[in-house]
Formats: sequence, C-alpha cells, structure tokens
Amino acid sequence: MKAWKAATKLLLLLALAFVLWPPTVYAYLDPGSGSLMIQAMLAALFAVSMAIKVYWRKIKLLIAALFSSGSETKDP
Amino acid sequence: MKLPASFRDPSGFLFSRNHQLYRQVNPVYGDQYDLLMSSGLYNRLVESKLLVPHREVDLPPEDDHPEFHRVLAPEQIPFISYPYEWCFSQLKEAALTTLEIQTRALEFGMTLKDSSAYNIQFKEGSPLLIDTLSFEEYIEGEPWVAYRQFCQHFLAPLSLMVYRDIRLSQLLRIHIDGIPLDLTKSLLPLTTLLRPSLWVHINLHAKSQKYFAGKQVPTKRHVSRTGLLGMVENLQAIVNRLKWKGDSTEWADYYDETNYSSVALEAKKRLVGEFLDGIGPGMAWDLGANTGLFARLAAERNHQTVCFDIDPWAVENNYLKSVKRGQTGILPLLLDLTNPSPGIGWGNQERTSLIERGPADTVLALALIHHLAISNNLPFAHISAFLGQICQHLIIEFVPKTDSQVKRLLSTREDIFPDYTQQGFEREFRKTFTIEASAPIAESERVLYLMKKE
Repeated sequence: MKAWKAATKLLLLLALAFVLWPPTVYAYLDPGSGSLMIQAMLAALFAVSMAIKVYWRKIKLLIAALFSSGSETKDP
Repeated sequence: MKLPASFRDPSGFLFSRNHQLYRQVNPVYGDQYDLLMSSGLYNRLVESKLLVPHREVDLPPEDDHPEFHRVLAPEQIPFISYPYEWCFSQLKEAALTTLEIQTRALEFGMTLKDSSAYNIQFKEGSPLLIDTLSFEEYIEGEPWVAYRQFCQHFLAPLSLMVYRDIRLSQLLRIHIDGIPLDLTKSLLPLTTLLRPSLWVHINLHAKSQKYFAGKQVPTKRHVSRTGLLGMVENLQAIVNRLKWKGDSTEWADYYDETNYSSVALEAKKRLVGEFLDGIGPGMAWDLGANTGLFARLAAERNHQTVCFDIDPWAVENNYLKSVKRGQTGILPLLLDLTNPSPGIGWGNQERTSLIERGPADTVLALALIHHLAISNNLPFAHISAFLGQICQHLIIEFVPKTDSQVKRLLSTREDIFPDYTQQGFEREFRKTFTIEASAPIAESERVLYLMKKE
C-alpha cells in the first residue's frame, strides 16, 4: 500500500506540473479554465487508477486460478 | 407571470398562471428535452424519486415568449427552501443526490449541465432535482461543466461546516453561486492536508483557478468517461466521509433545560393539539421549533409543517429524527427570526424572502415571545404586526415575567419592559388578530392563545 501511495503522490506531482506548465497554448478561456484544467488532471488520474485496479484484479484472478488448479493436482 | 428564479437559463423558464407553476421549454433546448424523455433517464429518475415528475400540458405560452417546444406542469413543492436554510445533513443529502443523478445521467448518455444547490428541493422529506432542464447530451471526452459549481455549492460549505464552523453555511447567503474556492481554502484549517482528496478539489482547485485566471490555455481537454465516473465516485466518497457530530457542550444542554413538569408538557401538547384540530390542515410554520416536538402535532394532523430554528444543532437533530421516523410532512430549516432570509440575487428577486414565501395557514409561536420581546427588545406591536404578515391563524404562548425562564433572561439585564404583561400582550395582539381561545397551561404560569388574523 505504501508503494501505491507513493506512486499516486508522484503521479499527482507530475500531473500538477503538467497543469501548471501546459505544453501548448491555443486560446483564451474564461476564469473557469483553472477548474477545467484541474478536472482534466483528476480525470486522468482516476482513469489510470481505474485501469490499474482492473488489471490488478485480473492478475489476482490469474494467480488464484493457478493456485487452485495446482492444489487440485496435489490432492486428487 | 414569468418567475425571476429562472431567468438566467436560455433552455426555458418558470411561470405561474392561476396559482399553478409551469415550466416552458424553449425551442433551443427541444432536442435535449426530447432526449431526456426518450432515453429512459426521466422515467428512471422519477421512479427513484430523484427528479420532480411533470406532465406536458397544452397551454398557450407566455405572451413575450410565443416560440416554445413544450409547456410542463411539474408537481408542486409545498415550500421552497434554500441551501443557507438547510442543516448539515440536508446539504449533504442534496450533494449526494446531485452526484447520484449525474451518475445515472451518464448511464443514459446525458450529463448535468448545472449542479446548483438551488436546483434541489425537499419534497416529502427527501431531496430531489426540480430543474428538469438541467440535462444535456453527454459527448465522450467532454469535461463535466458543472464540476466547479458542485465544489462551490456543496463541497466548500460542507467542508467548512465540518472542519471550521457549522455557522459558515451562512456564507451561501452572501455568495449566491456558491462559496468561492479561494475563500474556502483560506478558511479551512491546515489539517485539510490530511485529507488529500478534499485538498485537491478545494485547495489545488483554487490554486489552479488563480494560476489560470486570464491565461491562455488549451480550449479542449479530453476527459475520459472512465475518468469522469471515477471523479464523481471520488466526490461521493468525500461527501460521505464528511460528518458533523455537533458541539454537545455549546448547543445540546440548552434543550434539556426546560422548566416544564411532565404534567405541564402533556397539558401544553393537548392544548396545541386541540387548537390545531380547530383549524384544519394546511401549511404550518413552527417558529422556534427546537427539535420539532410540537411541530409533529401539526404534521400528524396533515399540516405541511416547516420548522424554523436558529440553532444548527436543533435543526440537524429535527431533520435526522424526521428521516429516521419517516415523518415526511416535516421540513426543518435554519432561520434567525430576528433576521429572516431576505430576497437575494439579481433585483433581490432570484431567491425570495421568508415573507414572500408565506403566508402560512398557521403559525406556532411557542415559548418564543420572551426571546423576541426581552432578549431582542422587540415591542409587542412589532411582533404582532410581523406575525400578522405571515399567517392566518396563530397559536402563541404567553410567558409572564414570573416564569423562571423570563427571570433568567432578566437576571443579567435591567428590566426596561414595563409593558411586558399579559394585558399589554393581549392589547397589542388584538390590533392584528382576534383572540379565538385562550387557556392556562397546567402546572405553569404560561397561557396558550389561538388567534385569527382580522
């Protein structure tokens, strides 16, 4: 869990840097642009987090499946 | 007549005709309205009691808006209340309702374009969305346009109420579009850092707003559907975690300190009940309702009952109690009667004053007169004139100077109230009301009156 939290923090810092120094300048927006930027950052974070969750679940299922099939052969 | 509460929205507006409220859908919003109805979202939300039901009516449009798509007759809300009148749990429930609606809307290919707390009202004890025109088609990759509004209208006041002071909900009365996030950030304690998710939505959000104000930024930012759902889920988790436990030392004790014997209390309940029986059901306002003991007598007699109290703890307690008992006829609200909600917003008309939302059929003013007359130096004539503006029937308790509670109020100040007598009370109230009945409350020195406005 510690590693996961550290990774999240790092990602947050990177995303913050991305927000504070946007790579491309296109157009002028209203003062609500700050809200849009933070939302984009958060949504990106949550999308990554959801993806990790899904893959992690799949990996856990795979391990569980391997383990259960292994135990069946040992104990007929 | 067009109502001033909805003039900002180009999608449509509210108007009243023959005391019935209608909502006109403008042609510019026609496709979105049709999508709401055809997608199944409307039915799903109405079944879940999250959206106010309406029927489409064949009615000529308002003269100055001849072009229209539909005219809707929404179910009526008995009493319109505002976020600065809600207790903590009411605002929290309203926030969760908004997020639940957004989640369901996304399932049906739509999204909320507004997340104003004023779009939520309490009907039969539960919060629901009253602005049928709040939805638009969801386009994959688009951000949630109402995110900032959600943070300002809900997250900011709720976090201030929990982490700083429950009374900060009153900032909503000054800031009609929600509490600015930079202000919220400056008021929240440093310990907010321990709650990273909240810190991001408030503090980092405020910093981002400041940094990008007036700057050129990309006009398009891709927000994936998964990311958006994740963010809404995160907001739900944050709001769910916010809990106000009340300040037992400051508020709670007062309500246990009554000078009633159990005989007097039962006698007062019986008298109030008898007076209510003589009036018949309608809209009842209980002023200074505490936790709603007497308001429940009105609700049990099918009065739509609104309870007002100045104390956030009492309102919270009353609301939670009503929810727990399934008493849907009671709406507890926070109100300082000596400074009731004014008309606010553009032209002082967007959110109406307390008086404009009346008059009630019946007002209960129990154990209140001494607080108004003695603690607040309000002459009987002014109290009587004000009550005459807000009700037809008045059930009012006179508390004499010999009563222990009044003695207590006078113990720390000079008695400058020579007219505070039962005779003086009756004389002034007779100028506005007819006294229909009066009875002493057993085992007390108090007198209960039933009055009718002349």
